[in-house]
Amino acid sequence: MQSRQQLPSSWTTLPVILATLALLVSPVFMVKHENFKTCDQSGFCKRNRQFADSASADKSWSSPYALDASTIKFSKGQLEGTILKSVAADEQIRLPVVVSFLETGSARVTIDEEKRQKGEIELRHNSKARKERYNESEKHAIVGSLKGSKDAKVADGAEKGTTVIYYGPDEKFQAVITHKPFGLTFKRDGKAQVQFNERGLLNVEHWRPKPPDVPAEEEKKEGEEAKVEEKKVEESGEDTSTWWEESFGGNTDTKPRGPESVALDISFPGFSVVYGIPEHASSMALKQTRGGDGNYNEPYRLFNADVFEYELDSPMTLYGSIPFMQAHSKDSTVGVFWLNGAETWVDIVKSTSKANPLSLGSKDFTTTQTHWFSESGLMDVFVFLGPTPSDVIKSYGELTGTTAMPQEFAIAYHQCRWNYVTDQDVKDVDKRFDKFNIPYDVIWLDIEYTDGKKYFTWDPLTFKNPDSMIKHLDKRSRKLVTIIDPHIKNTDSYPVVDALKKKDLAVHDKDNNIYEGWCWPGSSHWIDCLNPAAIEWWKSLFKYKAFVGTGSNVFIWNDMNEPSVFNGPETSMPRDNLHFQNWEHRDVHNIYGMTYHNATYQALLARSKAEEKSPRRPFVLTRAFFPGSQRTAAMWTGDNLAEWSHLAASLPMVLNQGIAGMPFAGADVGGFFGNPSKELLTRWYQAGAFYPFFRGHAHIDTRRREPYVAGEPYTGIMTQALRLRYSLLPAWYTAFREAHVYGTPIVRPNWFVHPEDEGGFALDDQLYLADTGLLFKPVVAEAANSVDIYLADDTPYFDYFTYKTYKGKGSHTIEAPLEKIPLLMRAGHIVPRRDRARRSSALMRNDPYTLVIVLGSDGKAAGELYFDDGESFDYEAGAYIHRTFSYADGKLSSADKYPEKGKGFDKYAKSVSKLRVERVVVVNPPAEWEKVAKVSVTQDGKEKYVKMSFVKGESGHASYAVVRDPKVQIVKDWGIVFA
Amino acid sequence: MRTKAVITFAFASTLSTSFAADLPRPRGVSPEYAKYYKDASSFACIFNPSITLEASQINDDFCDCPDGSDEPGTSACSHISALSPPSAAISDSTLNNTAALPGFYCKNKGHRPAYIPFTYVNDGICDYDNCCDGSDESEGIVKCEDKCKEIGTMWKKAEEQKQKTLNVAMQKRRDLVATAARLKLEVEEKISNLKSMVQADEIKIQEAENNLVETEKREKLRAITAPKTGGRLGVLVSLAKKRTEDLRAGVLKLMQEKASAEFRVKELEGILEAFKTEYNPNFNDEGVKRAVRAWEEYEARGRHPADDHVAQKEMEDLVQDDSEHGLTWDDYETADRDTDSLYLIESYLPPSARDWLRQKYADVRVFLVDNGILPAVDNDAAGESKAVQDTRTHLDSVKSERDGHQSDLTNNESDLTKNYGPDDVFRALKGECVNVESGEYTYEHCFMDKTTQKPNKGGMDTAMGYFDRIEFVNVDEGEPADGKGLGSGERIALRYENGATCWNGPARSTTVILVCYEINEVWKVVEEEKCIYRMEAGSPAACTPEGSRGASQAAGKDEL
Repeated sequence: MQSRQQLPSSWTTLPVILATLALLVSPVFMVKHENFKTCDQSGFCKRNRQFADSASADKSWSSPYALDASTIKFSKGQLEGTILKSVAADEQIRLPVVVSFLETGSARVTIDEEKRQKGEIELRHNSKARKERYNESEKHAIVGSLKGSKDAKVADGAEKGTTVIYYGPDEKFQAVITHKPFGLTFKRDGKAQVQFNERGLLNVEHWRPKPPDVPAEEEKKEGEEAKVEEKKVEESGEDTSTWWEESFGGNTDTKPRGPESVALDISFPGFSVVYGIPEHASSMALKQTRGGDGNYNEPYRLFNADVFEYELDSPMTLYGSIPFMQAHSKDSTVGVFWLNGAETWVDIVKSTSKANPLSLGSKDFTTTQTHWFSESGLMDVFVFLGPTPSDVIKSYGELTGTTAMPQEFAIAYHQCRWNYVTDQDVKDVDKRFDKFNIPYDVIWLDIEYTDGKKYFTWDPLTFKNPDSMIKHLDKRSRKLVTIIDPHIKNTDSYPVVDALKKKDLAVHDKDNNIYEGWCWPGSSHWIDCLNPAAIEWWKSLFKYKAFVGTGSNVFIWNDMNEPSVFNGPETSMPRDNLHFQNWEHRDVHNIYGMTYHNATYQALLARSKAEEKSPRRPFVLTRAFFPGSQRTAAMWTGDNLAEWSHLAASLPMVLNQGIAGMPFAGADVGGFFGNPSKELLTRWYQAGAFYPFFRGHAHIDTRRREPYVAGEPYTGIMTQALRLRYSLLPAWYTAFREAHVYGTPIVRPNWFVHPEDEGGFALDDQLYLADTGLLFKPVVAEAANSVDIYLADDTPYFDYFTYKTYKGKGSHTIEAPLEKIPLLMRAGHIVPRRDRARRSSALMRNDPYTLVIVLGSDGKAAGELYFDDGESFDYEAGAYIHRTFSYADGKLSSADKYPEKGKGFDKYAKSVSKLRVERVVVVNPPAEWEKVAKVSVTQDGKEKYVKMSFVKGESGHASYAVVRDPKVQIVKDWGIVFA
Repeated sequence: MRTKAVITFAFASTLSTSFAADLPRPRGVSPEYAKYYKDASSFACIFNPSITLEASQINDDFCDCPDGSDEPGTSACSHISALSPPSAAISDSTLNNTAALPGFYCKNKGHRPAYIPFTYVNDGICDYDNCCDGSDESEGIVKCEDKCKEIGTMWKKAEEQKQKTLNVAMQKRRDLVATAARLKLEVEEKISNLKSMVQADEIKIQEAENNLVETEKREKLRAITAPKTGGRLGVLVSLAKKRTEDLRAGVLKLMQEKASAEFRVKELEGILEAFKTEYNPNFNDEGVKRAVRAWEEYEARGRHPADDHVAQKEMEDLVQDDSEHGLTWDDYETADRDTDSLYLIESYLPPSARDWLRQKYADVRVFLVDNGILPAVDNDAAGESKAVQDTRTHLDSVKSERDGHQSDLTNNESDLTKNYGPDDVFRALKGECVNVESGEYTYEHCFMDKTTQKPNKGGMDTAMGYFDRIEFVNVDEGEPADGKGLGSGERIALRYENGATCWNGPARSTTVILVCYEINEVWKVVEEEKCIYRMEAGSPAACTPEGSRGASQAAGKDEL
């Protein structure tokens, strides 16, 4: 809308006034630190840190844990035994230990506690809670084989007091178990990679009865307090003040099972850098956590929480948790996976031993030492010995599963806002995208679409006709995503809550009544998806008849599933709440969110199976996550701010998700809270086009900011970014396929692509798109006109748009005015894309492909293209096309990646047989091609000649050649001979 | 770089059929562009004529021309747009990369021809909205039958209906303009009346002023004759009366202030009550929590003091007229005069002699005073006699009458020069209100006055803005079949500003965009941005005087 008359005085000054006003009244965005615990405020965290401190202060410290050699048994790749923990001269606690060597080459160490295992303990407060340490994490997280390796074997003639096991591929791996004190060293090719209990910080807080209250404790007199406390610590050697009860923010945790934390130190000798353990708003390379310049003073915390207006560069916890860490050096990558669903903290320190100046060739040797502690549960750790980053992530993927193959629309652009206010509003936004020729696939509805925050209902006043709305969207194959949260409104005449209560499927409080807390709807109950019956019930709610107004193009967003409870401790549930089969909430806190979005996935799958001829892949977005979440959901980084710093922070966060096995990740484009400037919004769209999950979103108090709102030049530039994403969807979809099969990241940090390049270990502000050789660096600074991009090798790189050449390891400056997306192509790759502009991804399905071959000095290049119907599960039966393209010695050829075909292949291949390559672009071709006017194209044994044009590169730009419409069919083998 | 977005989407309704329609044209080419495709053997790119192609390269689904002109009937050149990412290999920057064609031309035989964007061609969707003949899908991905006959007929019917509506609307507008003219005349008349009234008032003021001087002089005289005691009593009485009146006025004012304060307290309590029940504990804001706790304590103490109505009663008693308490000031004031008269010899004289005597007394008195022999009588308001006061009161009332007329005059004069839109048409609608229900609110637009949001469930109305100005805006909207939409082109808009301020946002404002329609209706209310509203409304007042631009009816015909 433009205005004429009086325009200068009205429409131009109004925004200025508004902006000024906004400046004056806009609240300062700041995380509420007081709502979340520091390590000191978390009993077991403090205790374990103190334990570490006293251990390192004590030169004669020796870990009180010893493996009783007489108990060791080994069979079928599994070593069993009992660790004895000495707590007094005459008292030993029995801790059963299992070390498994899996067929897959991974190792697992599990430590339990005999008394709790057998239930020989007493709970306080008449608690109904289970007595065992929580042992069902694997039920939720692990889908891969846990079968022991037949080939793993105990070595003969091991040093006395040790047991050595050879395992893994070609028995290259080795586990050296020290009996007293108990310790474990994992070696690859004889070289130590991972060490357990090297620092003696192993700690399993065993069950003990609560001593009768010491009167002094209750009758503390002023001034005596310190003395009494001191004495208490002295007597037992431990700080027992948080053993039996803990209070925080007015909530008291009754801790009926007493102290029960598990802790272990894990060292990575020779590794100077560790990555992983999302989710934190921090650098990808993890920092040290015990103080010092540039280090944190707090351990990294993993405790799923609704952290409002989170701060950057902090080890503070966020919405999801993946306790999986990789250690990396230029010749080795290893990983550990700490499988525990309770609150977990990780301390990291590094120690460097100086090289001996007299010893030739010796170098500084850095060891990264980590210290893990969880509040409860088994100690359960997996070790992956690499040696490459892909090996480690593959091993992790084998265990926890890989990214679900998404529907094609899910990796296109999503338009969200809290809230599109009416069904007509949704249609209007949809029409405007078309009017401005901006592609988009999905529009989203936040909580306001419901009737009074009752999920599965529509506001009768504002969403009068959802059917007509979704049909309207379906005309262009567009989708709707509506939010459904785990809190169910506690109100009258709401069948959903009636059923939840009647069927007893909600989380219980410590007294075993249905737990009641506050969330969006006010008083609410929480579905307990640890209960299989709850999942069955949940499935019934998504049928079209049950959730009236939905259809096959409606998908689901699961928010607030940390769970977020407005009036609960740390904005979540009390830890002594009880779940299905009486597990305490503390045991499953970090798992809860995953059980919920899994249930939604199951429900959508069941809906599709029941309602559609060919079931379609569900799409679920989740905020909370845990290892395994990747199998059913995409994630986003939660409620970020419309600030440049948050744009910058999104890169390491998204990259970290990728290397931690949950690559379908993105940040809210534009920033959730606050109003981004047009420049920031534009830059964010350019960056967002390279998030695996690409969604624009905005808070209810912000101004509208759909890409067409900003006006020129911004709208045009944002549209270019969106169209770039759409044109590269073939490459993105192929990357998702790879992630689905191998667990690999979709966007990759420098170290993952160039593991040997030490200069790039800490780099987390630029990314590679899978294996395409596309290297992207977003502009994340205001008024920037250029960015410095880092090249890890001497291979030539070319500007994606202009073919300007960049060569030489190190930093290069790319001019980047607002309209420029800094994107390079690395030589040696072939990138598939679709250049025709369309309204949505589904409308591109019949479009031909363009292949871009990027040549370096060796004149070789390779690439892949995967696609299927983009919707159904038919790909599981082989209904997909997966081609490899390779170029060498002047010939480009296309071949099937997997010659063996599934039964669904023929039919599908026939349906897409018309798809062709319309253009082949060769960047940096040999100079002599200037004289080549035609190239030979062969398919089905027939040869023909088609035109090729050649443009000579000038002033630092590479030459390029374009083959005009070779008309080769994608589904077939073919070749093009250039010279 | 290319920054200007070109929307290649346009209706082709203005394309004249005078172009040689019988020339054979490749698919997607309009008569207007037919001339470029005449040559049967070769084709020169329209914007890059140095590039020549074989005729077979036209519509062969490969984009050869950097301006896209070789593919008028396919989507092969759909990327040729400033909205697409630049690419050296497919759009050489040394050439003209601007799209040469406005879009794919649908002949739509039986209906109106139209262009659609190339991005819509062969995408598997029948875009019947603008391409009723289905010619946009030639690849066979989907079969789009020709629906022009049916759509065209419907369209014609709708157009006829719209034309009828337009005619009615135009007539109504003429009526409105006539009414506005009449109202304007009335204002002018009023102005002229007021002007004479003001003149008359000035004369009255002059008279009253003279009268006052006269009376004062007379009263000075009377003061000499008044016996000392009686005069003092008179002064006392008038002082007491004045004091009582002041006190009563004070109490009244207090009561008003109290009432207003109570109203405000009630309102605030209402706000806090709502705050307590509606605040979002999610944000765990300590400040908010403190406020809620403090409110709960406040509430526990009891909101209204129990003896409140007693105080109220007392005050009401206090402000009752004095006569209610058996006090009649006039009795004392006039009695005073009667007593005085006992001492007056002159009262026993015949009136003519009395006047003569009085005059003489006065002259002597003035002479003595003037020469400093007698002290001047204290003559300020408190000591003023009833006669002087009455005269003064009269003067004041005449003055205030004049002021009233003057301000009426100023208002009317400014109203006369105020912008009421073309032909003064909105003058006829001033103050007229139109309601529409949307969601949980009813929205009200009162022409040239204000916009209001009224909750349907009850509660306070929210001002969405007060009239500020008239402006023109360009819109480009779809138009529903019932004609209740903005259409495309320039539309008149009424701007309402400075409504209630939003929490964490600006003061509410509303733009009411009007299009020509037979009655006043609000069709749609949208909150475009936080607290910035837009109403789409129909009104006969929005029709243009010449009648050619039937706003929504024209669907932007003449703007393109």
